[in-house]
Amino acid sequence: MAIEVEENRRDFLILTTSAFGVAGVAAAAWPFIRSWSPSADVLAQATTEVDISTLQKGQMITVPWQGKPVFILHRTPEMIAMALKGDGESLPDPAKDADRVKRPELLVLLAICTHLGCVPQPIGTGSYGGFLCPCHGSHYDTSGRIRQGPAPRNLEVPYYDFKNPTTLVIGKALG
Amino acid sequence: MSKIMEWIDARLPVTELIKSQATEYPTPKNLNYWWNFGSLALMVLIIMIATGLFLAMHYKPDALLAFNSVEHIMRDVNYGWLLRYMHANGATFFFIAVYIHILRGMYYGSYRAPREILWWIGIVIFFMLMGTAFMGYVLPWGQMSYWGAAVITNLMSAIPVVGEDLVVWIWGGFSVADPTLNRFFVLHFLLPLLVVGVVVVHLWALHAVHSNNPVGIDVHEGKDTLPFHPYFTIKDLYGMGVFLIIYCYFVFFAPNAFLEADNYIPADPMKTPAHIVPEWYFLPFYAILRSIDFLGAFSKLAGVIAMVASIAILFILPFLDRSPVRSFRYRPLSKQLFWLFVVNAIILGWVGYNPPDASLFHGAIPLILIGRTCTAIYFGYFVLLWLITALNIEKPRPVPKSL
Amino acid sequence: MRLIKTIMAVCFAVGMVPAVLHASSGTPIPPAQKWSQDGIFGSLDKAAAKRGAQVAVEVCMACHSISLVKFDQLRQLGFTEAEVKSLAEVQGRTKTDRMNGALDETSAKDAFGVVPPDLSLITKARKGYEDYTYAILNGYLSDAERELVNKVMADGSVSDQEALELQSALLINTHDKDHVKATLERLIGGASFNKYFPGNFLAMPQPLNNGQVSYTDGTENSLKQLSHDVVTFLSWAAEPTVAERKSLGFWVLGYLFILTVLLYAVKRRIWAAVH
Repeated sequence: MAIEVEENRRDFLILTTSAFGVAGVAAAAWPFIRSWSPSADVLAQATTEVDISTLQKGQMITVPWQGKPVFILHRTPEMIAMALKGDGESLPDPAKDADRVKRPELLVLLAICTHLGCVPQPIGTGSYGGFLCPCHGSHYDTSGRIRQGPAPRNLEVPYYDFKNPTTLVIGKALG
Repeated sequence: MSKIMEWIDARLPVTELIKSQATEYPTPKNLNYWWNFGSLALMVLIIMIATGLFLAMHYKPDALLAFNSVEHIMRDVNYGWLLRYMHANGATFFFIAVYIHILRGMYYGSYRAPREILWWIGIVIFFMLMGTAFMGYVLPWGQMSYWGAAVITNLMSAIPVVGEDLVVWIWGGFSVADPTLNRFFVLHFLLPLLVVGVVVVHLWALHAVHSNNPVGIDVHEGKDTLPFHPYFTIKDLYGMGVFLIIYCYFVFFAPNAFLEADNYIPADPMKTPAHIVPEWYFLPFYAILRSIDFLGAFSKLAGVIAMVASIAILFILPFLDRSPVRSFRYRPLSKQLFWLFVVNAIILGWVGYNPPDASLFHGAIPLILIGRTCTAIYFGYFVLLWLITALNIEKPRPVPKSL
Repeated sequence: MRLIKTIMAVCFAVGMVPAVLHASSGTPIPPAQKWSQDGIFGSLDKAAAKRGAQVAVEVCMACHSISLVKFDQLRQLGFTEAEVKSLAEVQGRTKTDRMNGALDETSAKDAFGVVPPDLSLITKARKGYEDYTYAILNGYLSDAERELVNKVMADGSVSDQEALELQSALLINTHDKDHVKATLERLIGGASFNKYFPGNFLAMPQPLNNGQVSYTDGTENSLKQLSHDVVTFLSWAAEPTVAERKSLGFWVLGYLFILTVLLYAVKRRIWAAVH
């Protein structure tokens, strides 16, 4: 009897069944794994839509995006001029202003200081006409570039796009 | 490979354990499909722990958040609906497996010597499962959750002297509320882990005395037995396939069949639903509780005692049954009693489901009367089983000497 | 075999008992309607659900909220983003908002004495499910029935014959003439009577009437059609994942069926040596 069982074990039928069963158990793990991925309500926060039609020249608003603050600044010609002037100076984290904006008048910044994660003060609070991070005195200019203080990098520019001329969408849709 | 196994076995005899307790474990060759329900219950326990663990990662045990967090799982979490419906219907299928497992033990005399401790551990597991299921049902914090919790915790108030204080202590307040929900969540999480421990002891006890079988005689190893693997591994796996088909039918196509509509209404401490019922698996015991209503002020306590006794009486079943034969297959009277007991339990469940003031034939037979009769029959089973065996009223048919 | 016969006999007996059961509460059972989403092969009639969403937003949400659904999710029913935006604006909300009604709880309680229940789960939270919600929307008195009540109550008393007539017309489940009379008096006094509401009287006056909402797709807007559509929508709102559940179910059951057949074949093969 033991010999027959040995034979059976190599049987094609048993091999098929085992493979089929193992595949099923493996597939059953998928819903459990997937349940950790961001849920629908979290994904809905992946992007933030902002109506910029009412944003006045020189005005700045703070909007939440993925739970983090984002500055949207409608820059005046003077602010733009100051930012362009900075292009020619020696910067701790060199970047051209033109690469940091999609429209010269609109500056979008992730308002988290690259030093230790504080939220900088609004426009006009720092040297260079820009933003001052109050925690450790980092000064960012009107392009959000670090100019003075302990922060190592420029303020990050999040991914954004224009859905239509007056609607800004921050972030990329997921899922 | 074998070198590594040798090294391990010299320090921890894993191979020896697997051989003696699993693959080559001698198992009576005549076990029928009723013997599948032990492994089925174990499978459901694993499903329940796995789904429960992942549900707990999204659930919030807070009276203000609980209801919506369950709906968050149903709507937003990836496959959250699947986890929740597997868990909710898993409770039902757990009790289906466990009830058949218990009834199989009763029919084939699996509680008889030398398996009394094995049987007792089983009853302990059953009690733990009931507690776990009850507290789990509270967690969605719907109307049935809330009022089920209120009614069942209030049973404690029947205990003389300390009852009222005990209920307040369990609630952590003046009614079922946030503290109650929070502690029930923790216990609902903890108890199944303890169940796993007791199940290990249950299996230990089983392997110490070995399986009973449909004939109910002691088997001769070798002649009457087969190695567990592959004979019973494949039989158990086949049973799991059939069981999973039925279970998954309910999970995917009728997931609310065993749930009460009222539990989709958020808990409201100001308003009791018109008709509250426990989950189906508690209905027979609920009917026993309600049928003791003729003792005046003593009714409440008596009802609780009767309900607890209806399960606790299983502890003394090994001593009530005095027959020289284990299996009811050869015991004509016991067999009839057994089926009366099963039918009676189903009727009790039906009585428990209906409102207490309902009646049959336009008031001719009040349901409470049926409930009382069935309660008497329920306990009568144990008394009669003892009488017909102790007084040798039953004449067993001849039992085969070997399988 | 005898065991199986016994089990079958028991099930049959238990199944028969409700036929002769007489419970004391007597609300009539809502008549069964045809729902496209019923049964394991059923799938939601999205066009009906889309129309129903319009009814829900324009009528129901004047008082009720559907807070577990966000306006944005209506796109799953085929609304465009612009349509979702204008639907949200009906209630003064934006598309990312939850579908909360215009009425806040306090003013609702002042107006009706109760807070109108949230409708997110209404088709799952009442016995009778979709049929019940539909029955409530259609369970108010028709003009003919109202006329009958007025005729009966003109002389201020109810005869045996009239009581019987009313019982069958209004589905009042009672043998007590005084109870019928009391019900009628309350009804004439202006209380909202509904055939399918437990206790017959509810705080909500008839919410939907013939022609109350105009559809853009040319579907007729009778009360029956409006209520059928809105209940279809509410059924979707109660569990938007049903379609996903059913389609996965077929795969899982198909897999399990094949696996079980294979396991049975293996079991036969292994046990062949013993039998």
